[in-house]
Amino acid sequence: MSLWTLILQRILLMIATLFCVAVLTFLIVNVLPGDVAVAILGDQSTPDQVEALRQSMGLDQPILLRFGDWFGGVMRGDFGTSLTFGRPVGPMIWGRLLNSATLGVICLLVMIPVSILLGAVAAVTQGSVLDRAITAITTFLFGMPEYVLALGAMLIFAIWLQWLPGAAMVSPGENLFTQLDVIVLPVLVISLGGATYIIQMTRASMIDALGTAYVRTALLKGVPRWQVILKHALPNAMLPTLVEIGLSFGALLGGLVIIETIFNFAGVGQLMVMSVQSRDVPVLQACVLVIAAAYSVGSLLADIASMLLNPRLRT
Amino acid sequence: MSGAENAVLRVNDLSITYGHGDHAVHAVRNVTLSIAPGEAYGLIGESGSGKSTVAFSIMGHVVGGRVSSGSIQLDRRELLTMSPREWQDVRGNRIAMVYQDPMNALNPAFRLGAQVAETLIRHRGMSREDAWAKAVDLFRQVRLPDPEQLVNRYPHQISGGQQQRVVIAMAIACEAQLLIMDEPTTGLDITTEAHILELIADLRQRLGIAILFISHNLRVVAQVCDRVGVLYAGQMVEEGPADAVLQKARHPYTMGLNGSLLPISGEVRRLKPIAGRLPDLRQVPQGCIFAPRCAYATDQCRTMDPQIQVVGKRHVSRCMFSELVPPADRFIEMGSRHAPGDSVAPQLSVVDLDYSYARRGMPLPFLARKARAKALDRVTLAIRPGETLGIVGESGSGKSTLARCIAGLRSPDRGAVRLEGRRLEPLAGQRSREARQRVQIVFQNPDSSLNPLRTVGDIVGRPLGLYNVVPEEERRKRTIELLEMVNLEERYMTRYPRELSGGEKQRVNIARALGADPEIIICDEPTSALDISVQASVLNTLIDLRTQKDMAYVFITHDLGVVRYIADRVAVMYGGSVVETGRTDQVFSSPGHPYTEMLLNAIPDGTRGRKALLEVEDSRPKPIQGVGCVFADRCLQYRGRECDEVLPPVRLGQDGHMVNCHRALASA
Repeated sequence: MSLWTLILQRILLMIATLFCVAVLTFLIVNVLPGDVAVAILGDQSTPDQVEALRQSMGLDQPILLRFGDWFGGVMRGDFGTSLTFGRPVGPMIWGRLLNSATLGVICLLVMIPVSILLGAVAAVTQGSVLDRAITAITTFLFGMPEYVLALGAMLIFAIWLQWLPGAAMVSPGENLFTQLDVIVLPVLVISLGGATYIIQMTRASMIDALGTAYVRTALLKGVPRWQVILKHALPNAMLPTLVEIGLSFGALLGGLVIIETIFNFAGVGQLMVMSVQSRDVPVLQACVLVIAAAYSVGSLLADIASMLLNPRLRT
Repeated sequence: MSGAENAVLRVNDLSITYGHGDHAVHAVRNVTLSIAPGEAYGLIGESGSGKSTVAFSIMGHVVGGRVSSGSIQLDRRELLTMSPREWQDVRGNRIAMVYQDPMNALNPAFRLGAQVAETLIRHRGMSREDAWAKAVDLFRQVRLPDPEQLVNRYPHQISGGQQQRVVIAMAIACEAQLLIMDEPTTGLDITTEAHILELIADLRQRLGIAILFISHNLRVVAQVCDRVGVLYAGQMVEEGPADAVLQKARHPYTMGLNGSLLPISGEVRRLKPIAGRLPDLRQVPQGCIFAPRCAYATDQCRTMDPQIQVVGKRHVSRCMFSELVPPADRFIEMGSRHAPGDSVAPQLSVVDLDYSYARRGMPLPFLARKARAKALDRVTLAIRPGETLGIVGESGSGKSTLARCIAGLRSPDRGAVRLEGRRLEPLAGQRSREARQRVQIVFQNPDSSLNPLRTVGDIVGRPLGLYNVVPEEERRKRTIELLEMVNLEERYMTRYPRELSGGEKQRVNIARALGADPEIIICDEPTSALDISVQASVLNTLIDLRTQKDMAYVFITHDLGVVRYIADRVAVMYGGSVVETGRTDQVFSSPGHPYTEMLLNAIPDGTRGRKALLEVEDSRPKPIQGVGCVFADRCLQYRGRECDEVLPPVRLGQDGHMVNCHRALASA
């Protein structure tokens, strides 16, 4: 099976997955207790007012019909109108997506090379003080909830040392690169959290790879040790790590609910929390779709990278 | 122990220790050997003998251990004091190695050419293009087919035999002075082994390279090597010319090893295995290391270290006695067995069994399923009561799949397993308790087939409760009896699998199968993971049980010697089909199928430079299953289109001898 047919298959499967995600979110949102009309009008509203609003928003229609309407719109690139803001969802999410994506890419660029390096170093020096230090610190960070890390970092760098701003009050779509200092703390916290997985994964698979017979073969061919590590062990050891990295794509885009809230960063995660609170179904659905797509694209990229590294997958 | 003056390799008084303090294992003690230019030296030993440790120490690669004394010289240059930089110039360049398990020795992510070229670029300073061109040339030298194409392929795309040829090509790339081969044919199919051994002999002749050949197989070593050293528990116990050590062994351990060798011709006589087990090398006992297991040992043996004695021309032995007379009962005649005649109705039969791995799993959208060959193709067999049916075949022949289908662990696509004429449900879970009780199985890998959290008593006692064989209050007594049947004492009851040796674990597996009081035991390669001396005693146990309890065995193995030793009748499988069945003596003395002939020719017999195993020169297309003969592409009796396009007819000989071949039976 060639690389291209596999990519094509994966893209088709991805579309099927996203469709399932759309159906599921629609169903779940509709069985959730609470009503958008009540949420908008507040507790003091009369049943008549609620009913009138429901009718004007089309909420009295049968669920299948509403889903059909919504899905048809999505296929045309129209994600509907926000129930609480009354603005089209598309542009609303787009600006925040840009923010989140920029933050995510910067995090990946910082996190991946550093954690692979640390994981590999720990594996190569297995049992040494360095390895134990790396393992101890990653275990500590692994057990630390993200909000503690975030608040701790804020306390140290923004309040005590006053080196960096504590909040990232960027508006959706604003160019992040003009004010890089605001994203230093979010990047630091996110990378510290995400790196623990990748470091541990790299370390474990690197230790496996270093114990294989083909690494021994390379050593006993007279290849210098550092070359054996970089050329023979590392590429094979990267295979399990790649899956982890691929999944972190989605996490970076949508899983940052807490971080975005703490740093007041206008990203997709923050928008999603807001939409849940206000029962803003179209916005929530769009957010979930975008995040699911990010997960899918991430694992697709990881699979492609695995195929490039592992000939058994492509031949 | 003796050494030539101009030796390529000289290992002197080498001792290697793993671990520290009280837990230090003295794995290799005072080993001395030397190899002359162009000489092939065989190092024999069972697992735990330290043979691989010696081999890797010559490459400067002792992981987790250290050389505690001694020296290793290559061309009079000391290797043990070299810096890492100097080692890099020796490894792969002046000493090269060929490994057991070539699949894992090759990097799965690199093209084959690149792996060979890497050595050349490193040691010969070649450009990438030159190195790849040389790789093609090396591939041709090791007789790999279509070398220009093969350099661009990956390890998983070629067969095990071809992988080993690639490893050999890598090893001879820089014209090393010494080639270390660590069990190079272990794990390969017997015909592949024969081809690799031939290649090694051929390369030796052409390149004049010195070889250190490590193996547990005495016949293979005798076939390749000039001189042989026998290692036991980290000590060299005997050394001498290969044929002398194989035929006129002087050390009791070597004699025991020879006694455990399965006879491949002549009369089948009962094997005499070595009793006991390896000593604990944390506290090396005083006196002769082999004394606790030696039938000849005296009090003197247990207190004094035996000196090396010259027992023949360049033949030495570390035994106090210069002459040992084998006791008269060394060979006990096998109790005469008469397999039930043709007229007896089969107890278990397999009718038209088909099995394919292709259809397994959930169908996924857009994912095309690969067409796969059937693992079993219309397999029909019968086992009569009390009979031992041996099923032989190489890897991929479908023999283990057949065992699993009979035991109800896999559900066949078509066909049925019948017990006394009654059709059994395909899966064990659907079968009646009684049917499950009557057919038991012993698996190949004793390590993974025992629950590590249960004691031996729990494991063996389990089927007693499951099938209500004996009342509850007698279960313990019965469990002890079962252990005794497989020569394990009562004290094993409370032990856990990790405390047992490989042979003991397999005995526990057999006892567990016996616990159900079955009529038929399916043995799926039960001895292939064991050392030969252990194999001999496990086989003897199985033979004794069969006589006591009148059980039938379906004995699956790749080892023709084992089949010859234990089976009444034999079925030869190839490519998912049974190609020949018949009485064991009949099939061995007058094989009807060209594949059986090829197998029999491939058995290493220990004679130097034995006749070449013929290879099919022109490459024929792989036969399509169900259209022609499955063996058509490798057959030396190939007849052209008939073999490719017509299913071979069943040819009947005497006493139920059946052969599926276009060639007529010679005897019929």
